[in-house]
Amino acid sequence: MTAGPAISVRNLTKDFRIGLKGLKLRAVDDLTLAVPRGQVFGLLGPNGCGKSTTLKIVLGLVTPTSGEISILGLPSATSAARARTGFLPEAPYFHKFLSGRELVRYCAHLSGVPSGKVEAAVAEALELAGMTEAAGRLVGTYSKGMLQRIGLAQAIVHDPELVILDEPTAGVDPVGAAAIGRIIESMRARGKTVVLCSHLLGQVEQVCDRVAIMDKGRLVLEGAVADVLERRDRHTVTIEALTPAALAAAETALAAHGARLGAVTHPRRSLEELFRELVTGSRDA
Amino acid sequence: MRRLAPWLLFSALFLGVGLLAEQSWRRVRLGLPEIGRRQLEPTVGQGVLLGVLGGFRTVVADFTWIRSYVLWEKKTDRAGTELLMRAACALDPRSRFFWENAGLTIANDMGHWEIRRRGGYAKVPKDIQDHVLRGYARRGLDLMDEGVASTGGNAALLASAALVAELQLKDLALSADYYRRSAEARHAPWFAARFAAANLWKEGRRREAYDWYRAHWLKTLRLEEDGAPDDLKELRDMEQELRLPLLARLPLQPWEVAQPGLSTKPGDNVTTKPPVGGQSRK
Amino acid sequence: MNAAFARCLWIARLTFLEAIRQRFFAFLFLLGAVLVLSSGAVRAFDFGHSELKFIADFGFGGLFLFGSILGVVMTAQLFFAEIDNRTALTLLAKPLGRGEFLVGKFLGTWAVLGVFVAVLAALLAVMMGARAAELAELAVERRLPPPECDLLGLAVAALLQWLRLGVVVALVLTVAAAARTFLFAVVVGALAVLAGQLQWLSQELLLKPAEAGLGRAVLWVLTHLLPNLQQFNLGDVLVLAPTQVPAGTLPWVFASGLAYIAAFLACAAFLFRRREI
Repeated sequence: MTAGPAISVRNLTKDFRIGLKGLKLRAVDDLTLAVPRGQVFGLLGPNGCGKSTTLKIVLGLVTPTSGEISILGLPSATSAARARTGFLPEAPYFHKFLSGRELVRYCAHLSGVPSGKVEAAVAEALELAGMTEAAGRLVGTYSKGMLQRIGLAQAIVHDPELVILDEPTAGVDPVGAAAIGRIIESMRARGKTVVLCSHLLGQVEQVCDRVAIMDKGRLVLEGAVADVLERRDRHTVTIEALTPAALAAAETALAAHGARLGAVTHPRRSLEELFRELVTGSRDA
Repeated sequence: MRRLAPWLLFSALFLGVGLLAEQSWRRVRLGLPEIGRRQLEPTVGQGVLLGVLGGFRTVVADFTWIRSYVLWEKKTDRAGTELLMRAACALDPRSRFFWENAGLTIANDMGHWEIRRRGGYAKVPKDIQDHVLRGYARRGLDLMDEGVASTGGNAALLASAALVAELQLKDLALSADYYRRSAEARHAPWFAARFAAANLWKEGRRREAYDWYRAHWLKTLRLEEDGAPDDLKELRDMEQELRLPLLARLPLQPWEVAQPGLSTKPGDNVTTKPPVGGQSRK
Repeated sequence: MNAAFARCLWIARLTFLEAIRQRFFAFLFLLGAVLVLSSGAVRAFDFGHSELKFIADFGFGGLFLFGSILGVVMTAQLFFAEIDNRTALTLLAKPLGRGEFLVGKFLGTWAVLGVFVAVLAALLAVMMGARAAELAELAVERRLPPPECDLLGLAVAALLQWLRLGVVVALVLTVAAAARTFLFAVVVGALAVLAGQLQWLSQELLLKPAEAGLGRAVLWVLTHLLPNLQQFNLGDVLVLAPTQVPAGTLPWVFASGLAYIAAFLACAAFLFRRREI
């Protein structure tokens, strides 16, 4: 069943009433969005732009003022829709007295996994999240990165078609963030739809197929990552052993064809790439 | 209207449940001692609230009583003492102790406190003294009446009320009535029937006293383990004084024939002396 | 088993585990137990009641007082812990209805209070049973009837207290479902319980014959909207004088208690339905 988007949002508006006078604060303003199935979709924007509110409305945790939302063709905010959705909230907090395995098992039961299949589902989710070894420890002893990964495990334990991740890498070190990135990629490989809300733009760029950018409650851009980032009127050429004479010759040759050399700089690695190169093999523990 | 509809629905739901609870309460209240709301209102702020709410009622009543007792010892705060004593009664209305002691305190002591407050026995005229003392006696007796109703006609409480009626109000007929009710109640004190008859006798209602005492002896006292020989002796004395023909008297009991003196009859431990000084038929 | 009910039970299980670990619960639990156990020692303070009545009153008083405090504070605490720590966000994003979440919270909290009531009632039964046996021996020596002490009545009284606490929990959940803060829920919940505990005063007023009028009609409506929590306080009567309870009373009390719980939970679910998490 591949017909229709994983999430369809049409003309969504959400107003919050503030104070005794009931002043309106518009958090989401006439948002229309479609998240295609089987892709990793990045939802970006500055703090307070309405991303989290949009996700909460999609999950039925917040009631919209107006608009229509559906998940996998089902009306949003229904149990049936949520049964096919997994959610990792921002800065997740779980009951500290449970072990990681108990938490995921508990969520499996709540998510409707048949009793006979719970243990297998829990083991698979823990494995995918890289938490098998630490599953026996109490959640209260987990580091931030481990909390995010156990949160991921509870979100995917019932094998949902759609996974919504709200800031899954917030507060996590680059190695942990990369691990989460790999988990997201493996979910895409399994044909899941992933909605990713993140401030780590580098990671979003790496793992997302499509992105949408929101500002002040409105959608300001939406499209495939390659399409929206590529500047088709500019080109980058990487040259080795460039001498001043070679540069002058190249400029002359380009001018003969009506082209112009814009800038000459040295290529840079990102700090994240450098960090990951230097700190290898280190995992949260 | 659409926004109001759920609230109207919930109001109807709660009213329905409230009606069900009312039916439940109508039954429950018959088993619960009725708390005297009026008596408690002034004391609710003094720790009594907990008792009114339903917990520790006996304990709160006890501590309320202790507080009243502290005031009683000072003998200066009559209103406070009475208020707390009434609160204790209201909190635990099935306790004879509170009703009896509160009633006796009001009837026996408070009149004297009042006279002292007005300047003492030397200053207050005798008729005013009598008026005050009788007023408080009546007030104490009223409280004991409430207690009698709350305790299901406690025999000991009725006997104490009889004593107040006799000694403070000098109302022998009323006293006899209390003693009679006491004698007819469960666990009646051994002297109640005798004193009921004696006080009626002293009131001049001699035949009535004998008839009731005789009927009560036949119906109740005779069935006691020792056969109530002292009461039978009293009845024989009454028959003598009333000069009843032999046939109108109580039939001779077998053990009377065996031991005509009666006083050595079974019940050697039964004393013929009244429990309270000075009370007897003659 | 119905899937929705199974989900309720999972929420209840977690709520129970969370509640049982709370220091507040342990503190009140110990306090109640000490109170019941000390009732035998402090009966010397007693005036004119039977000793057993005093012990029963102490025990049921402890159940009533600490149970009520637990019922109000723990319910609000367990509810707001989910909201404030945002665990509710994770749970409600699953195929779990909000009504199921509330029913689960109710069952978990009620179960904890059930443990509280059962243990304290068992301690009370031991205290009363032991003293009743001693008093019965004394009564035989003095040729008096043995004191009445119906331990089955005590079990029924404990059940009634548990039912009352169930109404308290459901009531506080209703308040919490609409409240914004824990403190507000506790204060309003406690006031509502207090009003419910005193409801019988207006109920009594209405049972007395009087002329109909607007004031009486308003009183009637207000009285019937408030729960009557006093009807569950049959403790010492059931234990010490069970014959004073009119026949057929208990089914009415149980039916009324369960109806209150159902009505409050329905109201709580309605209020929670549109709450933004």
